[in-house]
Amino acid sequence: MSIIEVQSVSYSYPDSSAHALNELSLSVQEGDFVGIVGPSGAGKSTLALALSGAIPHHFRGNFFGKILVAGMDTCTVALTDISKIVGSVTQDINAQMVASIVEDELLFGLENFAVPHAEIPERITYALETVGIANLRFREIASLSGGQKQKVAIAALLALQPQVMVLDEPTAALDPTSSELIFQTLSELNKTKGITVVVIEQKVGLLAKYCSKIAVMDKGSICAYGSGEEVFSQVDLLQEVGVDVPRCVRVSKGVHELSHQSEYAHLLSEANSAVCDETALSVQSAAKQLACCVGALQHRSISLTEDSQPVATNDVELAGETYLPKIDGPVIAESSGPFDRIGILQDAEQPSVQSVLDVIDATFKYQGSTDGVERVSLSLRPGELVALVGQNGAGKTTLTKLVNGLLRPRSGDIHLKGASCKDWKTSQIAQHVSTLFQNPDYQICKESVLEEIAFGLELKAVSAEDARKKALEVIDRMGLDADASPFMLSRGQRQMVALASVVACEPDILVLDEPTSGLDYKECMQVMNMVKSLCEKGCAVLMVCHDMEVVLDFATRIVVMAHGSVLDDGEVAQIFSADEVLKEAYVEAPQMIQLSKLAGAHVDPSFAGLNSASEVLEALQHQFEIARIAATLNGKEAPRG
Amino acid sequence: MGSVIDYTEGTSFLHKANPVAKLVFALELFVAAFAAQGTIEVLAVLALTICVGVVSQNAQKTFKLVFGFAVLGLILCVVQTLVAPAGQTLFLFITVGGLERGFNVALKTIALALPLLSMLSLMRVEDLMNALVEVAHVPYPYAFTIATVLRFVPVFASEMNHIMEAQMARGVEFDTKNPIKKLQLTMPLIVPLLVSSVKKADASALAAEQRGFYLRNASSAFKRYPLAPSDFALMILGVAVIVVILVFS
Repeated sequence: MSIIEVQSVSYSYPDSSAHALNELSLSVQEGDFVGIVGPSGAGKSTLALALSGAIPHHFRGNFFGKILVAGMDTCTVALTDISKIVGSVTQDINAQMVASIVEDELLFGLENFAVPHAEIPERITYALETVGIANLRFREIASLSGGQKQKVAIAALLALQPQVMVLDEPTAALDPTSSELIFQTLSELNKTKGITVVVIEQKVGLLAKYCSKIAVMDKGSICAYGSGEEVFSQVDLLQEVGVDVPRCVRVSKGVHELSHQSEYAHLLSEANSAVCDETALSVQSAAKQLACCVGALQHRSISLTEDSQPVATNDVELAGETYLPKIDGPVIAESSGPFDRIGILQDAEQPSVQSVLDVIDATFKYQGSTDGVERVSLSLRPGELVALVGQNGAGKTTLTKLVNGLLRPRSGDIHLKGASCKDWKTSQIAQHVSTLFQNPDYQICKESVLEEIAFGLELKAVSAEDARKKALEVIDRMGLDADASPFMLSRGQRQMVALASVVACEPDILVLDEPTSGLDYKECMQVMNMVKSLCEKGCAVLMVCHDMEVVLDFATRIVVMAHGSVLDDGEVAQIFSADEVLKEAYVEAPQMIQLSKLAGAHVDPSFAGLNSASEVLEALQHQFEIARIAATLNGKEAPRG
Repeated sequence: MGSVIDYTEGTSFLHKANPVAKLVFALELFVAAFAAQGTIEVLAVLALTICVGVVSQNAQKTFKLVFGFAVLGLILCVVQTLVAPAGQTLFLFITVGGLERGFNVALKTIALALPLLSMLSLMRVEDLMNALVEVAHVPYPYAFTIATVLRFVPVFASEMNHIMEAQMARGVEFDTKNPIKKLQLTMPLIVPLLVSSVKKADASALAAEQRGFYLRNASSAFKRYPLAPSDFALMILGVAVIVVILVFS
């Protein structure tokens, strides 16, 4: 039975002729866990507002069509009637809070909806315990982490016992561990309490793992809707729309294509071909596909279980594929990633290059707190893109603030181009170090894009005329509208404007704090490619990033932080193979690293150390090729099965 | 980082007092400071306010507020000394009478501002809001507005801090020692702060509306805030202070 029925809804905001929602239809069944994904400006947040009744009750504008929530037309009932069925969590979690104490936050809705007072304590306890934050009941909300605040918002809804929860990007500002915990909580509520969940999210890995259905939005409409397998198998459509797919899906698609190539199709049985036709959403299922293919090609049975014997290199040689290049340690490709990533050998190739930034044994602690960094050392050379990874609170942002001079080390020192900047003013440090903050709204202060970018240059003592000329060049290069008001642009475009003002300054060092957070796939690639081009010009980049796929694709080095200290500092492949370090820092290796590790150990050693889907598929193609040659040499078709 | 009006945890008598009684007591201290004429009387009210802060385990924030307002008081003292000369000249335009008046104005500024702000950090905004509705019969929407404003003060202060940090990292000279230049540099930042404030206020209003804000009535509140004899004693103490000050002034 459908709990939400969206029937040909079109909506445009006041003073705008463009349709934010365009003839959109969607049916959500009771007990569904629906993920909504799409590029910026596709209308995802507008849809969330419409589902929760905020449109048309809070936001005016032109609304056509009908939305039925539990059979009620949202246009004809009051917003509070809809709220009894649908609870919603908006993007800005701080603005969502109406109280300063967790318990009061839960009380607010219960009191207003006239829940009998005798029931209130029980409901509060139930909601807090279900979400797993009973210990936070009397805490100040301001003192909670982002993940805890999200859980408070969910508990506040849960106390009202809604039938549907609508959440707009609940993990946008969270690290991978906290994001996973939020989705686990939602999944538990969905499975055990039967609450229908509709969640807008850019992290496709989470959607693939937890959602029973995925809806893809583009230009105000739904362009794909179905199970994770059904939706993510439409790779071409998703790429055209600008939605990322889990990396395993790329492998899966490649396996499917290889298995259907005319020269290889006869090498697999129908049963094996059927496995290759499936869409693998997880590392395990992608590894199973590889195991199925390679097993069939090598005429052996492959198990992926922990206790199965890892494949020995000799096994491969016995199969007669001695011409294959032997893999000795991790394969380090120079530009073979899906985004033509920067060669990660750069560091090894240029060992003698003078560092542009040296953090020497720096310690900083916030007043009255143990948070901060402890004896951190780090060097950055021109052209390097160093990713700082670790959990929220690991000290990453503090380290970036020490680099750009917003904080000063209590002990230790920071050297820029070999000189100590202990006595430099922050504005002096800014002549060498530019920072792109997670929230572009903190940076933007001018009324047009041109003024905004030129202002950044003027701060670097460039004359107004030259600044304008240079700003126009950058605007042209980045395809921005010079006269547009930055405040009226989308989140992604505002991030591009903030980046443009940094790019125009051509700094020696660029500090990026979560540059891709809240951006869609296309915008993410646009931002990172621009950062990459800065690197190629010799700018050293220090990037705080929670998205390990971005780190894998773009970083040349990784610094892992935990508890205010540097746990490890090394090349990308080296860090991602250090399981203990990743575990301690609560960092999960990207899907391709996990897949190559699993397939390398249990399927074939040639998969070990590969970093991208194309490398994995290349290795698989070798296997097909060997099997084809072997079949030809034997003068007979390879046996089926 | 918290602001000076954020709630300070504690178990003192004032922490347990009814928020309305605390508010009335703060207003009484304000009236006493206003009524005080001589420097000694103003100093007495100020000393009492500081004592209340110390006794209620809130000394740190109280002294922070005193020092904060002392800067404003100093500026007013200088202005008053220069514009209202009286009595014997000490040097140039500085007179004994002017200096005395200036000092009095400075003390009065601190004494007027301190009670309310110091008392706000001894009560949670939700408690204040609910008590105002129950005890003082303030309509809930107004009480909620007051509470929201108080709750958003530290939020906006934090937003402003983020904005200033971002601008400093761009090279804007907020680290200059010239206060006029600093003020000039701050003016353009009002635009992003305003944009972010309007967005937050709208999101907050929607969140409240969706959680039944307009359905609330007088019997909705779960927590009760009856006035205890100790609350009346506190308010009577405030009246006594006013009377004493009036008598001595």
